[in-house]
Amino acid sequence: MPGIIFLCRAILRLFMTSSDTPSFRYPFSWRLLDRAESVVALWPRRWAGLTGYLFLIPALLLVFVLVLGLVYICDYSLHELDIATYRLKDAFSLVNYQTALKSVTYKTVVLRSLGASAIVTLITMMLAFPYAYVMVRTPSSFTRKFLLISLFLPFFIGQVVRAYGWLIILGKEGLLNTVITSLGLPSIKLIYNYPAVLLGLVQYMLPFAVLLLAPAVTSISEDVELASESLGANWIQTFWHVVLPLAKPGLIGSGVVVFTLTLTDFAMPEILGGGTTDFIANSIYDGFFQISNPGLGAALSMILVTLGSVIVTIIFFLSGTGTLVTTGNTP
Amino acid sequence: MTGSRSKTVILWSIVWFNLIALSLPTIIILGASFTAGDIVQFPPDGFSLKWYAKLWLLDDFKDAFLRTLYVSVICTIVSIPAGTLAALALARYRIRFMTAIQVYLLLPFTIPLVVSGLGMMIIFGEVRILGQLWPVGIGLCCINLPFMMWAVSATVNALDNDLENAAANCGAPPLQAFLTVTLPAVMPGVITGALLMFILAFNEFLVSLFLTDARIVTLPVSIYNSIRSVITPDLAAVSVVYIVIAFFAVWLLDRLVGLELFLKSK
Repeated sequence: MPGIIFLCRAILRLFMTSSDTPSFRYPFSWRLLDRAESVVALWPRRWAGLTGYLFLIPALLLVFVLVLGLVYICDYSLHELDIATYRLKDAFSLVNYQTALKSVTYKTVVLRSLGASAIVTLITMMLAFPYAYVMVRTPSSFTRKFLLISLFLPFFIGQVVRAYGWLIILGKEGLLNTVITSLGLPSIKLIYNYPAVLLGLVQYMLPFAVLLLAPAVTSISEDVELASESLGANWIQTFWHVVLPLAKPGLIGSGVVVFTLTLTDFAMPEILGGGTTDFIANSIYDGFFQISNPGLGAALSMILVTLGSVIVTIIFFLSGTGTLVTTGNTP
Repeated sequence: MTGSRSKTVILWSIVWFNLIALSLPTIIILGASFTAGDIVQFPPDGFSLKWYAKLWLLDDFKDAFLRTLYVSVICTIVSIPAGTLAALALARYRIRFMTAIQVYLLLPFTIPLVVSGLGMMIIFGEVRILGQLWPVGIGLCCINLPFMMWAVSATVNALDNDLENAAANCGAPPLQAFLTVTLPAVMPGVITGALLMFILAFNEFLVSLFLTDARIVTLPVSIYNSIRSVITPDLAAVSVVYIVIAFFAVWLLDRLVGLELFLKSK
């Protein structure tokens, strides 16, 4: 009730004309600000402690849409499909989970996704770390800018367009095959297979990985490296024993992001895999739209969510949360 | 950089490998869009701009482009106040259950996109707004909101608390202090965040795939639908739209806040 009274008074205040004399008027923006200020002043003093919560409401509501969606999917997953009507039955059951867990196809899909996540994370980190290191350490500001731009450009170009670029390069009559056949060799199938998907994924993840690693590299003092080298370590030893351990929080944070993004990816396996290398997300999509069994698709979704959470928790448990959890919210 | 010659050689060869991998698809698409032939092949059939001339005649792509623009604008407009206020609240105000709220607000990153997309498809279907365009913008805002909050909170931490107190001390009422002291201080973060939100919404494919139908496809979905085994140059020309926008966004980001901002350690 006080809320409604507050709202009414706020609206009234906003439209009330103030008692300006006609000969002199403050500038419009001043009057507008004063008006707005008097509305803000209606927020009672004793509610001042609640202002922060008021600020949070829009963001909390937006995220709530996703939470509600997850609840709905969880609900879907607990109802079996009625083959007669093609609707979900009212009774609760775990049939969808049993089907998903027993199926050899889905087991292959899950293992394929997990394998891809591990391989892509490993390769991406090995490629991204030197890039981040050179970008941060280079004395030339021109080089740094060049490396940053080369990173941000693909970052701002979506997966579909980049996958399309790879199709032109790797396709049956694409760039690489033209080069190969012009050398007199038989053309090879470079597309619609597992390596093509992995390549596309590594290229997609690189900007994410480097951008998450760069602050970690920045925070390593160059003096530490100098100290290590002046004590007789060569650069490989310095890298291995000094730089990498100091960058560990960044490596974990960025590795976890790459791993989970790969695990849940849809576009690369779809476009570059051509239906032969489905990941979990592709199976979920098929569950909903190809075999029209939302219950099974929802069960696969819940398995994906659980799988991702469990793996991330294990990594965090084994090696700390890295740079992810404390993202700059310490005042 | 400290270290020996072998270090420079090895590190730079990895960097060059990265550079080639990062830019190759972009360069190839640019090249393919200028071909004179009807299919993309190597060596190309000569140089022409005819696919660009035809671009504006392709009604499907033009409509999809305008719809994508509309969706991205909605996403950006909604996320600016929501993300900025949330970041300010977390950094500036005494909030109970702070850790829980932070974890909750990171949910868009922890819930897989495919699940978020399906969930929103189901909810929007329940409240009968599925098939309209504006909910797509809201949906894209939901999944990318942490980017906005992250960008703002990166600058809000650099803001000195005493500045707001000083403004209040000088007689500024709360709103004026907010508008003339707090907001300008976090502006670089707001701009970075808004730009990120716009570009990410413009590119988002999977969630758009779930939330749009044949009548209201957005550009990424439309490109995806048109990808066939035979590669036609008109699709390359459409993709160049993305490359141009990415160039523009990078330029803008560099002008407004400087790309070096992303190298700073927290």
